[in-house]
Amino acid sequence: MHLTDEQLNEYLDDEADDRILIETHIAACMDCAARLSALQALFAEIESLPEVEPPHSIAARFSPSRSLPAALPRSLTLTVILQAALAAATIIIAAPFVLQFISPRLSNLSAPSFTEMFIQVQTQWAMLLDALSTFHLPTLPEIPMLEFSSIFMLLAVVGASLLWLVGNGLLLRNQIK
Amino acid sequence: MSVLSDRDLIQRARRGDADAFGELVTRHQVSVFNVCYRILHERTEAEDMAQETFLRAHDRLDQFDDERPFGPWIRRVAANVCLNHLESQRVTAQLDEERDADESQRPETQAEVREQSEQIRGALAALPAQYRVVVELRHFQELSYDEIAAELNIPLSDVKSHLFRARKLLAEKLHALDR
Repeated sequence: MHLTDEQLNEYLDDEADDRILIETHIAACMDCAARLSALQALFAEIESLPEVEPPHSIAARFSPSRSLPAALPRSLTLTVILQAALAAATIIIAAPFVLQFISPRLSNLSAPSFTEMFIQVQTQWAMLLDALSTFHLPTLPEIPMLEFSSIFMLLAVVGASLLWLVGNGLLLRNQIK
Repeated sequence: MSVLSDRDLIQRARRGDADAFGELVTRHQVSVFNVCYRILHERTEAEDMAQETFLRAHDRLDQFDDERPFGPWIRRVAANVCLNHLESQRVTAQLDEERDADESQRPETQAEVREQSEQIRGALAALPAQYRVVVELRHFQELSYDEIAAELNIPLSDVKSHLFRARKLLAEKLHALDR
């Protein structure tokens, strides 16, 4: 009575319950020893299969856009806050000038006909051009006016542009990669 | 980044660090690709399934027990991804045999199969999908019968029969090529 294929497979897979029985039989049976040896050679042949390199990097193919950072890094957060603060300061400083310029015109508004409106628009446009030719910034005593040299202004503009570029570059860094 | 352990990278990736997950992909892409290539026997398809494996792993990172090693886990995911892919394509053993027979008639393929590894790959590719995956999990990932049964959600008896039949077919195929 020879060993079954199942017994030989389980023995080589370390899954056989009757290992001693199998080993005793193999020691006495040339046929089963040869079958076991052939199976062992097959195992070695299968497992000799070498690993190969992928033709292209899978890491490069892998899109990181599915996993954008859940929390922005601190440096980026500070840049965003700074940009928002600069934008808010610009609006606050500009608001009195804008209001002073448009409020008299808003108070005179009624519901004119199309022709009247057209004439008004033309008139307003002519007035605007006149006003612009003689326009002077109103003095606001409560806002301290600082004297800036042209070099300082240039540096400020360049600095703001760099800040904007860095901020947006950080925000878009995952798409740029 | 390279000094971090897989566990550190997983924890960072869970917090949304794309670079940390990218590093995990870089570390394990060769072994995952090879799992896919052994099962699918087609490089482009293997690359696609390796990528799919990492995407699926990314979606399931929260379920991963980081006390366990990442490598064996991702390779098991790869085997399952490939099996699902094969089953979705309804690739049968008969179709594989036909493809194998066709390829053996092409002179360039005959030259390739002289290489021992190509012979083995060819023989593996001729197996039915379930058999290939069981061979992969047993011989290359060294899972026990019980672990394979749990991984593939099949009875233990099926694991044994798939594995033993697969080996028999491989032996026949490889010995036929030797002659």
